[in-house]
Amino acid sequence: MAQLTLDEVTKTFQDDDGEIVAVDKVSVDIEDGEFLCVVGPSGCGKSTTLRMIAGLEDITRGEIRLDGQIINDQPPARRNVAMVFQSYALYPHMTVRENMAFGLEESTDMPDDEINERVEQACKDMGIFELIDRKPGELSGGQQQRVALGRAIVRDPEVFLMDEPLANLDAKLKAEMRTELQELQQDLDVTTVYVTHDQTEAMTMSDRIAILNDGVLQQCATPLECYHEPNNLFVAGFIGEPSMNFFPMTLEGSTLRGEWFEYELSDETVAAVEGTTDITLGIRPEDIEFVQGNGPNVFDSTVHVVEPRGNENTAHLQFDESMDDQFIATVGGMKQLKAGQRVKVRFPENAIHLFDTESGEAIRNRKLDEIETVESVV
Amino acid sequence: MSIRDGGFIDELRSTENSRIGLYAMLLAGIVFYLFPVETAVMTMFKTESAFAQTLPFAPPGADGFTLEALATAWNTLRPGLLNSLLMAIPATIVSALLGSMTAYGLTTISWRGQVAVVVLIIAGIFIPYQAVLVPLAQFWFQVLPGLLNGFVNTVFGFITGGNWQYPSRNGYVQLLQLSITHAAYGIPICTLLFRSYYQSISDEMIEAARLDGASAFSIYRNIILPLSLPMFAVTLIYQFTQVYNDLLFALVLINEPASQVATQRLAALTGGVVQSFNTTMAGAIVAALPTLLVYIVFGEQFAKGVAGE
Repeated sequence: MAQLTLDEVTKTFQDDDGEIVAVDKVSVDIEDGEFLCVVGPSGCGKSTTLRMIAGLEDITRGEIRLDGQIINDQPPARRNVAMVFQSYALYPHMTVRENMAFGLEESTDMPDDEINERVEQACKDMGIFELIDRKPGELSGGQQQRVALGRAIVRDPEVFLMDEPLANLDAKLKAEMRTELQELQQDLDVTTVYVTHDQTEAMTMSDRIAILNDGVLQQCATPLECYHEPNNLFVAGFIGEPSMNFFPMTLEGSTLRGEWFEYELSDETVAAVEGTTDITLGIRPEDIEFVQGNGPNVFDSTVHVVEPRGNENTAHLQFDESMDDQFIATVGGMKQLKAGQRVKVRFPENAIHLFDTESGEAIRNRKLDEIETVESVV
Repeated sequence: MSIRDGGFIDELRSTENSRIGLYAMLLAGIVFYLFPVETAVMTMFKTESAFAQTLPFAPPGADGFTLEALATAWNTLRPGLLNSLLMAIPATIVSALLGSMTAYGLTTISWRGQVAVVVLIIAGIFIPYQAVLVPLAQFWFQVLPGLLNGFVNTVFGFITGGNWQYPSRNGYVQLLQLSITHAAYGIPICTLLFRSYYQSISDEMIEAARLDGASAFSIYRNIILPLSLPMFAVTLIYQFTQVYNDLLFALVLINEPASQVATQRLAALTGGVVQSFNTTMAGAIVAALPTLLVYIVFGEQFAKGVAGE
């Protein structure tokens, strides 16, 4: 149990062309027992950040503190962190029991019978007790994953570090393990830093998400905040599947003028975007409405492709045949949509996001409806 | 895909044909490799006259059969065989073990300047034996005895009275010198073999061990070493064959007849005025027995190591 603080943590690598900044002044406070997901595209520095916390990578500048103690110069073994790797990194010549006991044997002077007891208990918790005397080569991917988790749990660490632990599992098992990991983390109540490139994993599992791009922290907030109130274009585009639609526009008076349509803003919104003329309009696919008849901010478009998903349809739309990029709208699964069909779509003003095109910063995020509370069913 | 009449049979037939081709190739390979061995074995059981009268690979007739050649070869080689094993086995084990440790230090642990060390070690592989013969002999016969005598008589002079002499003429000391020479000479190639193997070991696993609290030595002892067994088979076979078959270093370093190794004995056996092919062949077969045995014992591990499993 521990509070983990990253304070302006920076990592640079030397290259022939000079210095490459992999992680740039990342500051995050991770509360005791919190589940923090670090997401970002490949090469954004998320794994490097995790490896710096683990002590596998030197910190160029900044501090990492565990419960107020600076751990920058502590060797990995002394930090009391356990890490789960994407490849599981099990020792192939050791049985499950030996794999899990190794860390306790190396880092503590616990008597053998106590180690054995803890290993067996951890195996039971993970549901792999019957595999305890097998070697990793005889286990399936999912079972190896459990052993890797068990090896981390048995150490009873202050912090769990996970580097894309579910990346090698098939979709169904991945969804199962996601739930299981969440339960496990809640039961153990151990501070966890989880690195993934999969925004669905981040959305579904974490207390908070830290989004990195090019080594710079873009936003660190709860999944819903990141989804509804993104700080900038990058976060808006990265979080959410399918991604938010973006249209580059110019503000003229109270009208946003774009290549394909003109969007009328209310006085209140115009006041909010005061001073910016190059604006990117963003709208999430599920906020686009299909309407009958004309009205303000209703546009004609053509359905290009429909991807039925059962519960909903993902429609790829075009304003015009000559439009290269399509935009995406999701509608209910029972709604009949055909490729080539002409439809009218409305972008409701309370659902649009406006970004400064130049800096990418959000100027105005969507207006959230009242948070709906779930009434308990008695 | 449409199924043509007889298509399946055709396919089966072509599989059969390629199979027959494969076995024919294998058979040709076996004949190619074993034919000289068979000839040697046949020759070693023949009398001199039978050798002159029959084809080399044909078996001896009842009157042409003899064990005399084998007995002569065995008696000449026997002391040499023992010396060879005494010298080659420790040399092989030491160079494999040191090579493995060096490779670990140069691959899995990262430190400044290791590339320069790797380059030096690789250069070491390509130093020809002939180039080091003179310095090698000088080192063992002059430099080392001088240093040792000086050291022992200075430090322990009160015991030795300043009269201690390095026993370089002693047969076992010569064998030890040869053994150490081979061990040292074998380190570069063993290091290279282990290094390429260790480069394929997952970095994440080593990192997991570091996070588990294992020290550099503990990682070597508990993780790297057990995983290296197939590679040990490869280096042991290669290095043993190399050391056992060497004649050049032995000729330079060993001048006591009692401590001559098998290759020296074999040279003596064949070096007579009259060339007697049956004893020569018998000697070659007897001398090859230990290496043959090593291949049979470590064969399976060797295949695994070469296949990189």
